[in-house]
This record gives sequence, C-alpha cells and structure tokens, in this order.
Amino acid sequence: MLTDVGLLALVLAFVLGVYATLASYYGGRTNQDTWVESARNAAILTFPLLTISVFAVVYALYALDFSLAYVADVSSRAMSPFLRVTALWGGQQGSVLFWAWLMSGFVMVVLLRKWERDRELMPYVIAVAMLTTAFFIGVVVFITNPFTRMWHFPGAAELTMAIFQPAGAMPYIPEDGSGLNPLLRHFGMIGHPPTTYLGFTGFVIPYAFAIAALITGKSSGDEWIRATRRWTLVAWIFLSIGLVLGGRWAYDVLGWGGFWGWDPVENAMLMPWLTGTAFLHSVMMTEKRGMLKKWNMVLIILTYSLALFGTFITRTGVISSVHAFSKTALGPAFFGFIGLTFLGSLSLLFARWDTLKSDHQLESFLSREAAFLLQNMLFLAITFAVFWGTVFPLISELVTGTKITVGPPYFKRVTGPLFAALVLLMGIAPLFAWRKQAVRKLGKAIWVPFAASLVLSGVWGYAHRMHPAVYPALWLVTFVVLAILMEFWKGVRARIRGRGESPWVAFQKLIGRNRRRYGGYIIHLGVVMIALGFIGDAYLKSETQGTLQLGESLQIGEYSLRFDSLDYYPGSDGREVLEATTSLFKNGELVTQLNPRRDYFVVQQQPVTIPGVYSTAAGDVYALLVGWEEIGFQSSTFKIYINPLIGWTWLGGLVMILGTLIAAWSPSRDREGATYTLKPRQASLSYLAGD
Amino acid sequence: MTENIHLGEKAIDPEVAQGEGGEGGPRSLVSLLAYGFIVALLGLLAWGLIRVQRGPVDSGMAPDFTLTTFDGETITLSELRGQVVIINFWASWCPPCREEAPYLEQTWRKYKDQGVVFIGVDYVDTEEEALAYIAEFDITYYNGPDLGTRISQAYNIQGVPETYYVAKNGELRGVKIGPLQPPELDNKIDELLAEPYTPEEPSQ
Repeated sequence: MLTDVGLLALVLAFVLGVYATLASYYGGRTNQDTWVESARNAAILTFPLLTISVFAVVYALYALDFSLAYVADVSSRAMSPFLRVTALWGGQQGSVLFWAWLMSGFVMVVLLRKWERDRELMPYVIAVAMLTTAFFIGVVVFITNPFTRMWHFPGAAELTMAIFQPAGAMPYIPEDGSGLNPLLRHFGMIGHPPTTYLGFTGFVIPYAFAIAALITGKSSGDEWIRATRRWTLVAWIFLSIGLVLGGRWAYDVLGWGGFWGWDPVENAMLMPWLTGTAFLHSVMMTEKRGMLKKWNMVLIILTYSLALFGTFITRTGVISSVHAFSKTALGPAFFGFIGLTFLGSLSLLFARWDTLKSDHQLESFLSREAAFLLQNMLFLAITFAVFWGTVFPLISELVTGTKITVGPPYFKRVTGPLFAALVLLMGIAPLFAWRKQAVRKLGKAIWVPFAASLVLSGVWGYAHRMHPAVYPALWLVTFVVLAILMEFWKGVRARIRGRGESPWVAFQKLIGRNRRRYGGYIIHLGVVMIALGFIGDAYLKSETQGTLQLGESLQIGEYSLRFDSLDYYPGSDGREVLEATTSLFKNGELVTQLNPRRDYFVVQQQPVTIPGVYSTAAGDVYALLVGWEEIGFQSSTFKIYINPLIGWTWLGGLVMILGTLIAAWSPSRDREGATYTLKPRQASLSYLAGD
Repeated sequence: MTENIHLGEKAIDPEVAQGEGGEGGPRSLVSLLAYGFIVALLGLLAWGLIRVQRGPVDSGMAPDFTLTTFDGETITLSELRGQVVIINFWASWCPPCREEAPYLEQTWRKYKDQGVVFIGVDYVDTEEEALAYIAEFDITYYNGPDLGTRISQAYNIQGVPETYYVAKNGELRGVKIGPLQPPELDNKIDELLAEPYTPEEPSQ
C-alpha cells in the first residue's frame, strides 16, 4: 500500500532529522568531520523520504482514497483532479507536511551546493535547519498526521481516528469526501499557500547561517550574508507573491470590495515581510561598508521569529481573526518550539554582541548609510505598530479584562504616514552618495523630478478634486516614480555619450551590468504601483447598493449598471450557479457586460459570492449579487464598488517579480562574476572584498 | 575598530541608534528589557493558548445577559423562554459582518412574527459608527453595545461575526463562526421552531 510506504518514509524522515540535528552539533563541537558528514547525508536524505510521503498523500487525494481521514475531509468526487491535488495544502495535516517537505527541500539544495565552501559554518547550519525541519516533521508524525484513518467500534456513536487499527474496530470508509472549502477554490488560494510556505520556510536558510555565524563567532565577517543573499531574495519574493495572491484572493472571493483588511492573519504574514525587506537592504551596508551588523542579525532573527509567531497565532487561533481556522492540538508543541527559538536566538545574539561592531562609523546624516539606517528604523517602526495592533486584544483582555480590538483605522492611521515616509525614502535614498552627500548636488539631482511631479500630480489630482486629501499621496508616488526613472535615464545617457551605444542597447547593458541595482529599482517601481492600489482604496473608493427590477439601473459615479436577467444552472465541481447578467454603462455608453454570481456548493452547503469586475487602469467596477427574489427571478439586489487604481496592485506584484528575477539572476561568468558569485571555489577573497 | 578621521565632522555611531552601548555586550538594562519583552510575550501567548483551547461556549444553557439597546430598551435573555433567540455578535469595522447583514435583516423580517427574537450584540465599536451601520442596512431587530465586552466574554467569542442559536428552553444549539450564508439561518430557525416546548411551571 502506497500510504503505508508514505507513513514509513515520514517516520524515517523524522528519525533522520533528529539524528542530523544531534550528529551535526556533536560533530561541530568536537571537530569530528565524520559526524558532520554523516549528519549532512542524513539531512539530504530527509527530502527524498518526505517526497515519498507527499507523493503518497497526493496520490491518495487524486485516487480518492477516503479511508484516510484527511482525504475524506478535503477531497471529493465532484472535484477536478487538479483541485484534488492542490488539496494537499487545503487542510492542516497536508499543509504541515507540505511545509516540512519544502523546508527539507531548501536544506537539501543548500547542502548540495554549499558544502565545500563554508565548512566551519556547516555543522551548525545543519543543526539549526534540521532542528526546525525535524520539529515540523515531528508535528506531522505525532500531532496532525495525514495518514490517520477512521475506525468504527461496533455500537459507538462517533468515529475513532487512529493510524493503526484499534482492537475490535472496523475500518470506516465513507462514500464521498466533504471536499475542499469552496472559498479556497480560486487561483489565488491555490497559489497563495505554496508561495507563502516557500517564503516562510526559505527564511530558515539565512537564519540558520546567521545562527551558525554566531555560534562559531564568525559573525563579524559577512560570509554568512554573502552565502545567503540569493536565498534571502528567493524567500522574500515568494513571501511577496504570497501576499499579493492572498490579497487578490480576498478581493475576488470574499466579496467586500477590498484586498487588505488588517486582519491578524494578514498581519502575521506582513510582519516577517517587513523585517525581511529591511534585512535585504540592510545587508548591503555590511557588504559595502561593514556597518549595521547588529541590525542584520536582529533583523534576520526577527524575520524568522515573526514567521514562526505568525504561523503560531493563526494556526492556533490565539488571536481572534475574522478568518476561521480550526483549533488543534498544535498549540502547546508549537509554543514550546517558539519559546526555544526566541530565547535561544536572543541569548546567542547577546553572547556574540561584541563581534558585531561596525567597521566604519556614520559620517553624515545625509548619506547613503544614514538612509539605510533610517529605512531600517521605519521598517521596524511599522512592524512594531502592526505587532502591537495584532496582539493588543490579547493584552487588553489580560490587563483590563476587556477585549479591545483595534480595527483597520488604527493600522491605517499609524502605519500610513510611516509607509509614506518609506516610499519617499525609496525615491530619494538611491540619489545619496556613500559616506557624505553634498546638499547642492542632491538639490541638482532632485529638482527635475520634484518640479515635474508637482505639475503631473496637480493634473492628476484635479481629476480627483472631490477628494483633496489624495493630492499629497499622488504627488508622492509621482515623485518617486520620476526619481527612479531619472536614475535609469542618467545611466542610459551616460552610456550613450560615453560609448556611443544606441538607447536600447544602452538600456539593456545598463541593467545587465548592474542587475542588482536596477533590478532593485524595478522592484521599487512595483512597490509604488502597489502603493497606488492602497491610495485608491484609502481615498477614492465609493460604493452603493440597490434592489433592481428587470431592466432597472443603479447609478454610481459616471457608471450605471442595468439588470438584464438572472439565470440558474448547475455548474462544475458540484455547484449550483445563480448568475445575473447586467450591462455596465459609462456616461450612457455600454462598456461591457458583468456577470456577478452566487455559486452554491451543495455538499458543503456553502455559497460563494463571485463578483463581476470591469478593470481599467483607472480602476475597477466591482459588482456583487447580494440578494434576489426566489420566485420568478424578477428582481435582484446588487452592491457596486468603484475601486480606483486597484489594478495597479496586481501589476505591481508582477513588476516586483520581474525586478527580483533580474536582481537574483546568475550573471554569465565573464561579465560580472564578482558581484554575484556567492563565494567562488578557488577565487581569492580579496577579489570579492573590493566589489 | 577603524579610527574615523573626517575633517570637522562629528562621527555618529550607527549602533547608538539601536539603543545599545558601545563597548562589549549590550548594556545590562537593554538585555534585561529584551529578555523581559520576550518572556512577557511568551507568557501572553501561553495565556492566550490556554484560553483558546477552552473553545467557544456552544452547548448547555446559554449564558444569561441583559442588553440595553441603542434605543434604550432592556432585554434579558432568560425572559425570552419559549422563543427561539438568535444572538449575533458584530461590529461596524468588520467586513464579513457587512456581508451577512442584509441576510440577517431579511431573515429577521421573515420570522419576526413566528416567535423568534434576534439580538445584535455590537462588539468593540463606537456608537456613532454602529448607528450608521444599523441605518445603512436598515436593521430593525434589537441591537445594543456589549459594554465592557461582558457578553462576548461569557460566550467566549473568537471574533466577529459569530452567531449563537438559542432554543426555546434557553439551551445553546450551536454557533456559527464567520458570516452567515443563506439559507443556513432559515434552516436553523426552522429546526429550532419545530422543537416542542412546555413552559416550566413556576416553582411553588
């Protein structure tokens, strides 16, 4: 039986994970390479074993093996084979296994690639990474095992869950499963968990290197940073994609017209993203100037801890959320692990505090260094504000006995200005020189985008003159975009003048020769686009609701929506679809047809509201079918949102991916090896240090 | 340490901004604060974990409460025996609540003459925004603020929206976490209305 093989592989993976942790630590302590070598093999082997286990679960889901409780819970005959496979991360048991599998994959790749290079760090990298991996595998084996079966004792009212047949019990195999939660059947929710997990688990690599650097006392150098730079970038972009996909899912499926609700679950993901973003930037200071070493350590430890913290609060339901997660026995085990990670990292950090001194000191408050420092502080301030707002209900209930939930207004008011400052810094900071920036030169570099942005945003703001508050926000994004584009233009112009290249060739070579820098600028452009979506959401949104008879229209702004018909038909995946046909007019002209729907999933008895959306660069018209007359379908109630600028958020996500690909891409060896090679096998170090 | 020679400029140690001392390890106060923070956070999480593992109250007798509505009326749950009571926890800042609001009101209008009482408990909100919400959805059933979050604590709610079903005899018959979707509320009310009910004799 494949499931038995999967279970066996899972248990073996756990044993190997524990062994690798202990053996590598022992080998590192006693300087015995054979132990480390053996631990490394065990760690590498964990991945193929877990792969077998994952395959067994996926196959059971695909083949509808309802003898497994997990399969009966998240899969059903009515689901398409593709959906059945994605149900691997549709429930908790599968999710944790998937998580452990991804993490062991990261560990395997890092061990295969990096073994010869950082021998000193390796024992502890293995120990830290495998301790974490073993913990998650342990959770799968002992707490939420996807290979659990259902058993029935004669005469008992309830089923018994157990992996092996209890004496006297009969196996219970239902005819059909209950199927994946209909809300999760959306491309955003199919892509969101894997990307988020890749992001969260990916951060274990830089974290393990950081802790290994602290243990070995090699933390004053930047080897650990150079070795993990690209890992960090990979983890970060997956976390970013996860955030954008999650937002897109909320927008398409939850039917409240927004994409970010400052819910604890969302915050839990945002916090490690914030500190991770700060870390990505902050490490450049260590590489270039040997500064901010303490910051880097603190930031990577925070990022990893916040990822664990976020998983903990969302998976255990410690902090109430409007998302309903199931309660499980995961809590106590996870709590112990988090406590160990927090306290262990902190004491190690303090023990090595004096190795983290800066090589240089800050020379001027007007310098690239100061800008990096400021951005670290801003990111940390936002993280703290989000953290405070997230745990506040718990604190208030403990202290005053009254639970006080701070809603989205708190988050918007506190983080809004900080995010604005960060965006502004994103525009100015790249103009600053290292060490010290002359004010005159800065003024010269800034005045063109500044003047142009005033004019452009003035025109743009005029289009939204009903909402004067939006003007500064529009100026900010215009200015930052122009400042970034100026950087591209200056680079291209220099190449055209200096080398006589054509503009297009100059543009390509500019990016090709400085992938990290210009990739970064492209990511910045993506961030500004996402900020545009938030600006539209904060200032320009409008909504209306009304009940329409056939042929009647509902007006909102320059749009009107006419109700043409309401149809009922059976859909795919076991749903019954109620679909309205409406015509959207803009200033009296027909622009498109919108079909807001209400899909009712019969088995789960759960309806899903699917909006009809008309998207343009200026914004979305988002129509929901919220009510209808049961008999005759003569009238329906619609809710319409105008969500200006929202499309930029999704585009911004794509631009960020593009920028990251450029920044992380391995350059061909002959061009600029030094900038990107992690630590070449034979090349001399001095070559690297001067980059 | 590199000596920093820069003409006429005062050097600034970037690490000072972190609030840590220059020499050796971090100042003992800082490390004390950091440990204190972590331990306090862990303590908070442990307490939250213990609390959450108790789960919401969803069976047995519904905890009794008295609610003063926004209109100034006073309702006491124990005085509503013989009627099916739907207790809905909501807040004006909660998007999923908005999603279920039209359905709740619609269901209330359908059942209000059949021995069903709806009670909206407004959780952690401002009166002004709550009244605007009630006006927006034209809500006509009882609604009042949960002063001091006493009611939500008695029910140990996990968040909003949450809806508790109370049978005619005052027993809890389940809880819906998250927004209600048609026709689940109708189904539940029909089920509870169908239950027989004999009023208890007042004790002699």
